Amino acid sequence: MDILFLLIPLSVVLVIAILGGLWWAVYQGQFEDIEKEGSRILEDD
Amino acid sequence: MQAALLTPHEMIAPIAEISRWDALDDPEEWAVFGQPITGTQAELWESNLAIEGMHCAACSLHVEQALMSVNGVVSAEVNATSARARVIWSAATTKPSDWMRAISQAGYNALPATDSPSFELRRKQQRLALWRWLVAGFCMLQVMMYTMPAYVSGFGDMTPDIRQLLQWAAWVLTLPVIIFSCGPFFSNAWRDIKQRQISMDFPVSLGIIITFSVSTAATFQPTGWWGNQVYFDSLTMFVFFLLTGRWLELRMRSRTAGALEDLMRRLPDSVDRKNADGSFSRVAVRRLMLGDVVRVLPGESFPADGTIVLGETQVDEALLTGESRPVVRGLGSAVIAGSHNLNAAVLQKVEQLGKSTRYAQIVALMERASIDKPRLALLADRMSRPFILLVLLAATGAAAFWWHTDPGRALMAAVAVLVVTCPCALSLATPAAMLASAGSLARRGVLVRRLQALEALAEIDTVIFDKTGTLTSDSMHVVLTTARKGVSSEDAFQTARAIAQHSKHPVSRALVAAGNAQPADSVSDVIEISGQGLTANSGFGQVRLGSAKFCGIDITPTDSVQVHLTDKLGWLASFVIDEDIRPDARIAVQALQDAGIQVQVLSGDRLQAVQRIATQIGISIVAGDCSPQDKLTHLQFLQKHGKSVAMIGDGLNDGPVLASAHVSVAMGDAVPVAQAQSDFVVLSGQLILIPQLLMQARRTMHIVRQNLLWAAAYNAVCVPLAVMGWLSAWVAGLGMALSSLIVIMNAARLARMDKAA
Amino acid sequence: MSDTNMQATVYDDTVVRQFSIMAVVWGVVGMLVGVIIASQLIWPELNLGLPWTSYGRLRPLHTNAVIFAFGGCTLFATSYYVVQRTCQVRLFCSKLASFTFWGWQLVIVAAAISLPLGYTTAKEYAELEWPIDILIAIVWISYAIVFFGTIAKRKVKHIYVANWFFAAFIIAVAILHIVNSAEVPAGWMKSYSAYAGVQDAMVEWWYGHNAVGFFLTAGFLGIMYYFVPKQAERPVYSYRLSIVHFWALIFTYMWAGPHHLHYTALPDWTQTLGMVFSLILLAPSWGGMINGMMTMSGAWHKLRDDPILRFMIVSLSFYGMSTFEGPMMAIKTVNALSHYTDWTIAHVHSGALGWVGLVSMGSLYYMIPRLFGQKQMYSIKAIELHFWMATIGIVLYIASMWIAGVMEGLMWRAINPDGTLTYTFVEAVKATHPFYIVRLLGGVLYLGGMTVMLWNVLKTASCGKSTNAVIPPIAAHA
Repeated sequence: MDILFLLIPLSVVLVIAILGGLWWAVYQGQFEDIEKEGSRILEDD
Repeated sequence: MQAALLTPHEMIAPIAEISRWDALDDPEEWAVFGQPITGTQAELWESNLAIEGMHCAACSLHVEQALMSVNGVVSAEVNATSARARVIWSAATTKPSDWMRAISQAGYNALPATDSPSFELRRKQQRLALWRWLVAGFCMLQVMMYTMPAYVSGFGDMTPDIRQLLQWAAWVLTLPVIIFSCGPFFSNAWRDIKQRQISMDFPVSLGIIITFSVSTAATFQPTGWWGNQVYFDSLTMFVFFLLTGRWLELRMRSRTAGALEDLMRRLPDSVDRKNADGSFSRVAVRRLMLGDVVRVLPGESFPADGTIVLGETQVDEALLTGESRPVVRGLGSAVIAGSHNLNAAVLQKVEQLGKSTRYAQIVALMERASIDKPRLALLADRMSRPFILLVLLAATGAAAFWWHTDPGRALMAAVAVLVVTCPCALSLATPAAMLASAGSLARRGVLVRRLQALEALAEIDTVIFDKTGTLTSDSMHVVLTTARKGVSSEDAFQTARAIAQHSKHPVSRALVAAGNAQPADSVSDVIEISGQGLTANSGFGQVRLGSAKFCGIDITPTDSVQVHLTDKLGWLASFVIDEDIRPDARIAVQALQDAGIQVQVLSGDRLQAVQRIATQIGISIVAGDCSPQDKLTHLQFLQKHGKSVAMIGDGLNDGPVLASAHVSVAMGDAVPVAQAQSDFVVLSGQLILIPQLLMQARRTMHIVRQNLLWAAAYNAVCVPLAVMGWLSAWVAGLGMALSSLIVIMNAARLARMDKAA
Repeated sequence: MSDTNMQATVYDDTVVRQFSIMAVVWGVVGMLVGVIIASQLIWPELNLGLPWTSYGRLRPLHTNAVIFAFGGCTLFATSYYVVQRTCQVRLFCSKLASFTFWGWQLVIVAAAISLPLGYTTAKEYAELEWPIDILIAIVWISYAIVFFGTIAKRKVKHIYVANWFFAAFIIAVAILHIVNSAEVPAGWMKSYSAYAGVQDAMVEWWYGHNAVGFFLTAGFLGIMYYFVPKQAERPVYSYRLSIVHFWALIFTYMWAGPHHLHYTALPDWTQTLGMVFSLILLAPSWGGMINGMMTMSGAWHKLRDDPILRFMIVSLSFYGMSTFEGPMMAIKTVNALSHYTDWTIAHVHSGALGWVGLVSMGSLYYMIPRLFGQKQMYSIKAIELHFWMATIGIVLYIASMWIAGVMEGLMWRAINPDGTLTYTFVEAVKATHPFYIVRLLGGVLYLGGMTVMLWNVLKTASCGKSTNAVIPPIAAHA
């Protein structure tokens, strides 16, 4: 199962990348006040 | 007449002329609720606002749109949950009054938020805590995925190289948990060590470090004495559960504090003050002085305690008194700072400001109570220190015991002991429950001054009302009018009312209120002899209105209050006045008696009067004509006979009695909260809250006992198991997190207060 | 349009329009091929004795056409539509967006030609040969640039949850495609996989499963999170839950792949792992479904007279059904019965026809009139008709395949007391015959519905004229 030596490190990298995305989102304030964002799309047209 | 202060014309002075927001255009004020943004070319300011009147998520969008439509507003963000707005605007093109007006026109009310630095700080901390928790959670899930194959694979199914690969992957994803998520544990433990103290963070940190070291060593050097077992899954799970517990605890705390926060934001920042020439100008509230007259518009909050000197309106005092219905406040009525003016502009004379307002006192009281440590909690805290030392000892013992047979197992047994013991469940048991209770009580207008008192209240078997006033409402009404032959009782009644309107005495007020129309101004030369009665010139000539003694007539006293009207010829008419029993008094007393409580009335009023009221309400044990000394003697007598007594009064007088009762409750909205010597203050004066309070106290103590029992039993069972090496680290971690979660969740049940007492 | 001033104020809807129309066209084509191969299973002579029309070559054409042509065009169209409106800006680089359209059509045409000609890598859902793979990679990276570029220049600070799903879908598909398509060319239309034997199978199903997870689930969840609230005119039930749903889904999906290889040469522990995580996956999947469904709470009456909304809600119930069925089938003991039978076909089609198909049609019905300056589709009655044809078609399809599948599984494993098999293989094939006819009927109905849609769309388009919607003047955030 040599392929695992590719797939598992790849998954570690992906997890770190996803964590990075999550970190960006949290610190951007993307999740500060989320319930209103659900309504925003109803306002635009 | 006081009404001369302002002509109707002035009342409706156009708003545009003296804008509500003009005071904010003074650049000196800007720094109070915001700061300049440096490093930009244009002069940009960031301002923080608290928005009122938002009911739904879409509201915040409307406010944003309103703000953005103002030329010069660079950005606007409105947070619906915290009801906060952040506005960035250019001082060159716009001014605060412009965008404040835009919000107002959109139908919302905005107040400058002066507490934004602390608010920002808390938001940052919350964000960080959330992020630590998320990292731990997601890494835990991934680490579990890497470790699970080791559990599910059969013997020889997985080759050693794959096992190693998976361990490495798990190690990499454990790193962020150790370095980042565990930060607070380590720093707290380190702080405590430096202060030569010890807290539960110490064994936790020790457990984390040992587990991580053993697992790391096993990952990179599987042949060492520490064995080849890795525990990354247990470790991350343990940290995640622990952080979950803390996160929930934090959230519950802030929910309790939520009621407080709402209060904090109630005061307006600026108000229209009446100038010497009768015009108005907008000034900041902190510049008000005693005696100022201010105009409070509908939708604004009253800036200070004071009396209404012109106009009549409805006022929402819900947050301050728990009274959910709007109350009418007219000429001469007292209004309190922080209450909300609902429907008409009124003028208010400032009588109390800042710290001395009832509002400030309530806020201060709630703040104090929330940091108050109940006796049981203090006890648990005291116990937790030797407890932790014991745990460390047990851990060392476990390690020493297993060392000879298997060093790797020895370390993990020690870790299991460190992790499984839960001093936090023990020390959380009491305050968690009491805080939850205090929070839910506060939302219903009952302030808890000492958390400790909840414990005493649960044990109460006797309730003594030390005033008839707490059982009756302020108002009285005229039940019977008798008049001399040949005199129309209606004429006599109207004359009495005309005289009575010049007095503030409760009986006079009852007379005035008894008629339908405003009493005619048909009397002159009214003189009030304080506490006795009034003399005046009327259609009957020179008359006296007052007690039998004041009027100089001899009439057999009855149970009820009587006032008499006499002229030169002697007796003219008598009015029998009855006190209104509070509508909820009967139900409240009944509920108390159903709960096995003996209810007594101990009053300084005349025995017959007291008895009459008590009978109507259903109280059989009554004492009248009591001096404060009598009351104290009676109380001590009861206590000597093993009774546990709660005194319910106005919380002001009879200090010694209140102090020696087991629990004291102050009733009524007239109480200056700060002076009240009681353990609880029922702000609205609703009697029905008394049995509810009692039930809540009993439920609280019930839950505290459950919590303590659970925590003790848990530790008693799990520590020996861990010492014996029968608990793996992840089970220990789960056990610990669950034990504190159970305590907190059990306590959270109290936040939902049972309405049906 | 040519006016630069205009460009700043209107959305770039041209590419959305192109993809929308082509989604409908390719839908009809792909489903037609499906109907043909379903008929071939009943009447093998329909192979016509020609290699190009044989079942083995048409089946990948069917899967590629419905997944990548119909599904792909729908995803392009909706994601371009949604990202512009939720960010309140035009697409980043219209020319590149236009390239993604023509490039993707080229891929589809190339597939439609090369597959019947017999060029295939023999990897399921990744049959296309290496030159087309490279073209796919280029188009996909351009797609990512357009999408993320638009996100980057957004005027609304918050990134709506649908965009998160689209973003995850775009990135994941790029990674999956590139890793799985690693191959060594041996001539213009021939290549060998970079991996060998069971390794190749592992990568293939890591790809295959995640293609289902990110292409057919994450992407379409993005569609659901925008168009269901829009059509229902109420915000999603819990926006908080939708965000939790997103992160939970992308963190757990990656590991469930090995369940496609139960009882194969794959190590036992990887199979068990695949099974466990397939079961865990149920939680986020149902979280999303419940969130979508509950968006209707308090407005259920709208379902009575709004067929478009009905498309979406029925689609969600199929999503719930198939995400429940999937984990069940990943349990090894259940899989022992279901694997290689028509049960799998039933499962795939309840997801594909029910979830992916219906939600695509619903969102296309929402977008197309707006893209052509119309208030609503040319004929609401036709939408109603389409809805019933599609729903009855799905029910016939999956019910017949369930029965056929379970029957096959039971027949294959039936053993006489002496240890010999009770049935020969061909007996099981014969037993499925009537169910294949029912399945064909279901497929024809579904195709019929799609044809009604094509007519309706063409009518709507010819009655209206292409309009690009105006960007609202007040952006919520600067």
